[in-house]
Amino acid sequence: MAGKKKMLDWYFWRPRLSTLSTHLVLFLAALFIASPIIFAVIKSTQSTAQISTYPPQFGIGSSMAENYKVAWQRYNLGRLMVNTFGVAISVMVGKTILSLLAALALVYFDFRFKGLIFIFILVTLMMPVPVRIVPLFKFVSSLGWGNTFWALTVPFLASATGTFLFRQHFMSIPTSLVDAARVDGVGPMRFLWQILLPMSMNTVGAMAVIEFVYLWNQYLWPLIIISSNKNQMIQMGVKQLTVSGPEGMVHWGISMAGVVITMLPPLIMFILLQEQFMRGFALTEEK
Amino acid sequence: MESKFPSRRLPLLILLPTLFVCGMFLYYPLAQSFSWSLLRAAFMGLRTLYVGTQNYVRLFTSSAYLHSMWISIVFAAGVVLLGLSISLGIALVANRKVRGARIYRTALIWPYALSPAVAGTIWLFLFNPTAGVVNFVLERTVGISPDWVTSRNLAILLVVTAAVWKNLGYNIVFFLAGLQNVPGQVIEAARIDGASAWRCFWKVTLPLLSPTAFFLLIMNMIYAFFGVFGLVDVLTKGGPANATNILIYNLYRDAFQHNKWGMASAQSVILFVMVVGFTLLQFRTTGRKVHYGG
Amino acid sequence: MKRVLVIVMLGLLVFSGLVLAQEKTKVVFWHAMSGTREALIQRMVDNFNLTHPGIEVVAEYKGSYRDTLNAAQAAAVAGNAPNVLHSFEVGTQQLLDMGIFALAQDVIDQYGVVIPWQDYLEPALNYYKIGGVQASFPWNSSNSILYYNKTLLDKAGVTMPREPTFEDIVAISRAVINAGVAEGGITWPMHSWFFEQWMAELGANLLNNDNGRSGYATEINLLDPAAVTIMNWWKQLYDEGLWINPGRESWSQARQNFTTQRVAMMISSTSDVNLTQNAAFDGGWEVGTAFMPVPLGFDRHGVVIGGGSLWLTKGHSDAEMKAAAEFVVYMSQVAQDITWHQSTGYFALRKTSLQALDLEGWYKLHPNYKTASDQLAESQISTATQGALSGVFPDIRTYIEDAAEEVYGGASVTDALTKAKGLIDQALVDYKELMGG
Repeated sequence: MAGKKKMLDWYFWRPRLSTLSTHLVLFLAALFIASPIIFAVIKSTQSTAQISTYPPQFGIGSSMAENYKVAWQRYNLGRLMVNTFGVAISVMVGKTILSLLAALALVYFDFRFKGLIFIFILVTLMMPVPVRIVPLFKFVSSLGWGNTFWALTVPFLASATGTFLFRQHFMSIPTSLVDAARVDGVGPMRFLWQILLPMSMNTVGAMAVIEFVYLWNQYLWPLIIISSNKNQMIQMGVKQLTVSGPEGMVHWGISMAGVVITMLPPLIMFILLQEQFMRGFALTEEK
Repeated sequence: MESKFPSRRLPLLILLPTLFVCGMFLYYPLAQSFSWSLLRAAFMGLRTLYVGTQNYVRLFTSSAYLHSMWISIVFAAGVVLLGLSISLGIALVANRKVRGARIYRTALIWPYALSPAVAGTIWLFLFNPTAGVVNFVLERTVGISPDWVTSRNLAILLVVTAAVWKNLGYNIVFFLAGLQNVPGQVIEAARIDGASAWRCFWKVTLPLLSPTAFFLLIMNMIYAFFGVFGLVDVLTKGGPANATNILIYNLYRDAFQHNKWGMASAQSVILFVMVVGFTLLQFRTTGRKVHYGG
Repeated sequence: MKRVLVIVMLGLLVFSGLVLAQEKTKVVFWHAMSGTREALIQRMVDNFNLTHPGIEVVAEYKGSYRDTLNAAQAAAVAGNAPNVLHSFEVGTQQLLDMGIFALAQDVIDQYGVVIPWQDYLEPALNYYKIGGVQASFPWNSSNSILYYNKTLLDKAGVTMPREPTFEDIVAISRAVINAGVAEGGITWPMHSWFFEQWMAELGANLLNNDNGRSGYATEINLLDPAAVTIMNWWKQLYDEGLWINPGRESWSQARQNFTTQRVAMMISSTSDVNLTQNAAFDGGWEVGTAFMPVPLGFDRHGVVIGGGSLWLTKGHSDAEMKAAAEFVVYMSQVAQDITWHQSTGYFALRKTSLQALDLEGWYKLHPNYKTASDQLAESQISTATQGALSGVFPDIRTYIEDAAEEVYGGASVTDALTKAKGLIDQALVDYKELMGG
């Protein structure tokens, strides 16, 4: 009789323990990953005196408003973020349009050299900025685009990834749709706009997240091509955060405030679009 | 897939913008990298001198450059091994069906959206000997308080840590997606046959994850070679004594601080060859080692 | 009819607006001074714009000296170089070879502006004189001096002589540490500039061919007894824990080490006088200054001008060139010279300024500001103190600093210097070949 009861207990508790341990591990993992950020946020509220104490203080400090205000003004974060938004939106829209058009051409038409052109586009995946940076710099400068919006946007308007993704996606759409469209006298551009595009919103959303994050985080290219502070992109503001300020040293509270401000937009973008991101991008094997 | 639109001109027309940008801003500068690698240059090309393969010879016989290449490989290995193993572990746990799984997943993934420069700034602060927290924790637990930024080995460790941390989210996303494609029935079948959890993982899950794992291997290598520039620039600027002077940073310094455009172009070409190598490697082995479906 | 009239009126309004807007000649000025100095420059520029209504000078801080020079080169390639460029002294050869700058003397002759060169301190002019012709306008000139915390030294029972030796520094450092009043004895930014200053002080040319002044240099004298002595001393100070390493080229960390009283002495540019005095005042201690220390057995030869100068770019309209020249003249006037000197510590370039301040008794109250000028005045005139001229200074500085880091890491001084010399020599020869020299 006693043995039976024990068995009951075990089968009762085992799955619950398993769930509990899963929660625990996940919670700890999330905490571990987030802890540097948590630390940064806490420190962004502290004053220099509070930061300089040893052992370190982990409570909310007293200088939050002050730190954020100074960070915003001293590093001109507002201006930099506006510039970066402008560039990001333009490139996102441009890239999406160009990729949609390219995929449309490659999937729904027949023409000479189609295969070659596709390879021509794909091969650019092997050409990240650093392998062409010096001539690109010279070329863009000689166009008179040094320190301009054009330099930050035009070189990035073509996308092999986007073309590839949309092409894959289009190829998985039933061909009956195209036949129906042709029967109805719908031209290719209307077909793209009214039929293909609404069906591709997951991919569009995923690309939007990827591109926004990529452009928001641009570092090397703006570093060398933009020379005036008012045209600069946001990551160059981040670069300044670890350079000593007028006090002759780095004020970590202000720096962390700058960091928090800088990371909010891509974070928000990511949270808003995370469903599309997961769906549009991460499924490497299409069913 | 025979249903097409009839026009022969329109497709070329709408491909034109893409082809134009690719041609002018990707292929053309790349070709110039090749030609400039044969020059010695000053003042951003205002003065040049043809030197043939001298730049390449000097690079491959320079201990500094070879060291830079070595450091890049070590760094990439660290990022790949640590990054993939930790993310895989987390993804495995995150894949289980628990309440709030979605929230956990978001919490694990979002540092992906941080920039390398932001990650570098945060970690620079964390490791600051007076204001940061790492040395405090180490001192209380292990009793040591190392000088992270002036020691060569520790600097590499610092950069690897920051780089791995930043990319965990990205890896977890793809591993999760890959895990969700592992058919539950296969695992069940293996379990019923009496296989232990460990063997299940090793013989069933892992092979089915191999396309994802291989994809992540390549993406993490590209990240370690190219994407971490901002991180290095904020954390160590290639130092101390070139301990963290990875290839991309060396290129930047030679090009934009020492104004050696010929030498920098040669380095660009070498990097290009490496990228092509990675990519071809991915396409080759994808066909053989990796296990798809069934 | 009425509509036509309105359009014509609007047109005239717009046209006159455009004309008025174009009346001001715009002068773009790029400089490398950050923090309080940036604000000071802006005030000087604002004052100039007010008193010269036809000219609008726009000043922009471009980053470090290296960044500013790079920005200028990029702009030159893109065809929009600034009218006036502030460059550090070691950029001189590069700027000359680039061919986009108008020589100062030419500008003066062509646009009839007046600068009384005879009123200037000679060493400041000489650095920027190439082949007897003034190439640029000296502006912020400095040399390195020794700062010390009088309060801490008193507590440790030691005093600083006006002209200390290496051995003095070692003794004082040991005393301060043993007395427990400071963590370290001395600090200075781990920067090749100090190495170059010490080479001059010990009477050695940094480069061959008369320090690069009689022709493109092809060798650096890193195995010269002077060089070896300097590096050995650096090593000794580091190994014994007397010198605290603030980091590579880290001026601010060095300052911080000194102003937080972590160390009792600092070697830095004279441009830090104002800053350190303020910090000392806030912290309740007293700061003193002395000449650069020299090893026993070596004569004191003097120091090299550091800091920077102003260069005018060619290829602008006459109006712009004249406006830029006027701006440079303004910046070199006695009033500005004195303001700049008193607010920073860069020394007064004009003899008139020095005399005026002396008469006022200002130097009696602020002796620290005079140290650099005295050190300069007592310098011997030679190619060593005139300063090295080379187009590959970025390389030179990188490799010398690398060598220092290697020495701190345990390498032998001879090995480190030999390695650096090999790399630098090659860079020098490459540059000479490239320039067709």
